Amino acid sequence: MPVEKDIVSRAIKGDAEAFAELYEKYFGKIYRYIYLRTGNQTEAEDLAQEVFAKALEAIGSYRWRDIPFASWLFRIAHNQVVDHFRKQGKVERVELEDNVVAADEPSPALVAERRFELEELRDNISKLSPAQREVITLRFGAELSTAEVSEALGKNTGTVKALQYNGIVALRKLMLGDSQRWAER
Amino acid sequence: MGRKIEEILDECLDRTFAGETIEDCLDAHPREASELELLLNASCAVMRGCAAIRPDPAFKARAWHHLQAIFHDRFGGIRSAGVVPIWRRAWTMAMAGVLLVLFSCVAVVAASTNALPDEFLYPAKLAAERVRMTLALSDLGEAKLHLEFAERRAYEMVEVAQQGKADRLLVLAGQVAEHLGELCVTEEMKEVAEEASAALAPAPSLSAGTERSDEGTDVEELGALLSQSREESLEALEDALARAPEALKPILRRTIESVAKDYDRTISIIESGSNQ
Repeated sequence: MPVEKDIVSRAIKGDAEAFAELYEKYFGKIYRYIYLRTGNQTEAEDLAQEVFAKALEAIGSYRWRDIPFASWLFRIAHNQVVDHFRKQGKVERVELEDNVVAADEPSPALVAERRFELEELRDNISKLSPAQREVITLRFGAELSTAEVSEALGKNTGTVKALQYNGIVALRKLMLGDSQRWAER
Repeated sequence: MGRKIEEILDECLDRTFAGETIEDCLDAHPREASELELLLNASCAVMRGCAAIRPDPAFKARAWHHLQAIFHDRFGGIRSAGVVPIWRRAWTMAMAGVLLVLFSCVAVVAASTNALPDEFLYPAKLAAERVRMTLALSDLGEAKLHLEFAERRAYEMVEVAQQGKADRLLVLAGQVAEHLGELCVTEEMKEVAEEASAALAPAPSLSAGTERSDEGTDVEELGALLSQSREESLEALEDALARAPEALKPILRRTIESVAKDYDRTISIIESGSNQ
């Protein structure tokens, strides 16, 4: 953590290399978090880029003592997603796009299998309560610690742990339901 | 009174993220083991699904260029964090300080060569790689560096696999893909530039033909290096698979598959470039 603290301090002072390090560390996580919320590659890319543009604008006002950097950044990401849904006037349930696993080019069967798995995961996550969904996407998608999630959401760690537990119990039931439905076909 | 199950689950998730196996956690909490096992298996399925979501490296590179422009507007150019004014009267002291820092940096970089993720010197290793990338003099030089760093990440995967760190394994596989993706971006951009210059050129000339032939040689060299790198990296990873803890094997198998596909895709892009 002290290493990241130093990198953030340098980025605040206008060190491009330090900002590049933060971009490298967090872009993939921010993208994954937004993708799990929107289910759309283009929207996730645009929103992830906007998160970093906003972070760049606001980084001068960031203070390490108030909140960890990851929590601060994901708070921006959360607000971007909320704004996005509000502007679009749609609820958080979108079908996944075909090109989600476009980074490599495996066989069509494997692409279909991966797409199906991801679609199921995203669909199951979207069935959780909003608070559970937020905790699960931050913990598993963004790989934040419980403490960082609690700072990002402004909830205490006990509440985050309870939401995480209930979210995993619910996801497990949903996953079991999926596999049973497949077994019955 | 015992700890709440949500506390224990959270602790076990942290341990799993850090590379411990589900069994380690179940052994530590025998009373809750039956419930924990179901929840941790479900969590691992979610982790695997999430790890497959990766941004397109080409988009990531474009977004970074866009952000750099904003960065320059905001801060008025790239500034280095280490610039310190040198006072005339104390210039010898300052120079000695600079030399000391320089030697320390060289020592740190040398010592960091074999550093692994989670080790103290690993950030220094990555920083040194970024410096080398900035100093690359040509497209071929840059491409070779991306290939070298992809290979380094693959060898780090071998080491973290032996340590049983599943999360680090997935992160490193993503980085191998990113380096190979950057290599493709360089090649794709070169092709676009070539097409544009061909469209603008009044007529083919002898010297243009010579340049084209030089670039063809570069591409062939890169293709050969890639194939060799693929063979060596996958051999090392397959070897690691044989020695990896049982719980890690399914994830390692999938990541090897993914690394092989990243290499194959890059080789096919490079080769299609050389055939044009």
